[in-house]
Amino acid sequence: MNRGLWIFGLAAALLALAVGGCATVPVKPWQRERLVDPIVAFKAEAREDARKMKTFEAREGSTGGVGGAGGGCACK
Amino acid sequence: MQVSPRLALTLLAVGLASAGAAPARAQDSPDEPQVAGTLLRWFTDSDHVTVRSLSTDWAWPLAHASGLTFHYNNEKVMIPAVSAPPGSQEAIDAITTASRPISGNAFQDFVKQRNEVEGEYARGAGAVSYYVSSETDYLAQQLGGRWNRDFRQQSVNLSLGSSWGWDAIAPVQDDDTRTGDAHKTTLHWNAVMTEVVSPSLLVRWGLEYNLVNGLQHNPYRNVYAGGTNVPERHPEERQRRDAFVRVNQALPNRASVKLSYRLYNDDWGVTSHEVGTRLSQYVTRGLSARWEYRWYTQTAADFWRSTYTGVDGVGGFLTGDYRLGPLASHLFGAALRADLEAFAPTRTFVRRMTLWLDLERYFNSNNYSANVVETGVDFRFP
Repeated sequence: MNRGLWIFGLAAALLALAVGGCATVPVKPWQRERLVDPIVAFKAEAREDARKMKTFEAREGSTGGVGGAGGGCACK
Repeated sequence: MQVSPRLALTLLAVGLASAGAAPARAQDSPDEPQVAGTLLRWFTDSDHVTVRSLSTDWAWPLAHASGLTFHYNNEKVMIPAVSAPPGSQEAIDAITTASRPISGNAFQDFVKQRNEVEGEYARGAGAVSYYVSSETDYLAQQLGGRWNRDFRQQSVNLSLGSSWGWDAIAPVQDDDTRTGDAHKTTLHWNAVMTEVVSPSLLVRWGLEYNLVNGLQHNPYRNVYAGGTNVPERHPEERQRRDAFVRVNQALPNRASVKLSYRLYNDDWGVTSHEVGTRLSQYVTRGLSARWEYRWYTQTAADFWRSTYTGVDGVGGFLTGDYRLGPLASHLFGAALRADLEAFAPTRTFVRRMTLWLDLERYFNSNNYSANVVETGVDFRFP
């Protein structure tokens, strides 16, 4: 197994542990007011994140981080 | 590993067919209004390349927990003419390593337009999407699907997504490269988990995998090898994977901090780390400011060299493209966002608008820098 796969196996294990560690008492719907605020929610910046990923993809050697993929690039 | 279009579409169909009947309420927002937004983006870099983007986005909530989204983007790209004196070594270097096609006159600007359309239909827990991007020498299409489900009293959401992209590449005439028509396919999978950890803390983590086949080098670039310059050549297959985690924490006094980390690795030898931070604060009701910093570093692809001793490169592959070399970059950003509901008189349409302005400065270890200005408006329909 190459080094990259080892790194990914380790990352996945750490992430699984992180999520397991987050398993506390579920937050009630009426306690989530602050989480839907545009400065906190994930959704509010989803379009912006996708645009930025496209810009970085054209100038760096990696991709990902927003949970999706695109194609084509009007870059140099 | 070669994945045929039929196999990829079958896998995609299986994924979509598995979209269960259980609605995902953490993602379900029946009260959300119809929203339209438009954006103007201006990118300019230290090589004097400019990209002007004008885009619009629409979201229509429909009956039965379904909805449609539509995205359109038009980009105008301008790559400047070679500015060195004709015949000089500097001009020859610029021409032979150019990332743009040069036919006849390198001392002329190269301008092209790109149009991009994307639509998505979501119903209950599932969604399907189609994407197309067209420019002079590149046509990209993509079919995607995703499914999500809530767990633990809607405190945890799991999303699974997949897409199949197929690109047709038709390089325009170039004096020093002779790449013919080519294609590229991308099979993508992702699994993303979002958890409401506390009344002020959201955590998201995900794994992504891309299998890319086909032409992956810039058809216009050359690299110095064996004392001459030859067209670049990349492997036809690339397996790309990444894992990321994002943490959004609401702070007292109407502020928030967002932290993110991404680890990326591929079978070309590139491993990268990305760390992002965003700090937001309401200045007054309806007006928020945001500061952003991003740090990025990557290792070089195994076959990357600035110059090669022989024309066969490393294992038959050659690239001098800095994007596959060792690289570190920084991005600083600042943004303002104004929800006019807090400022405009009652019962006016202005109250339904949100305005925003975003400024960014990007620079990397290859003496490359860029500035980005974005401004836009979103409108919520009654």
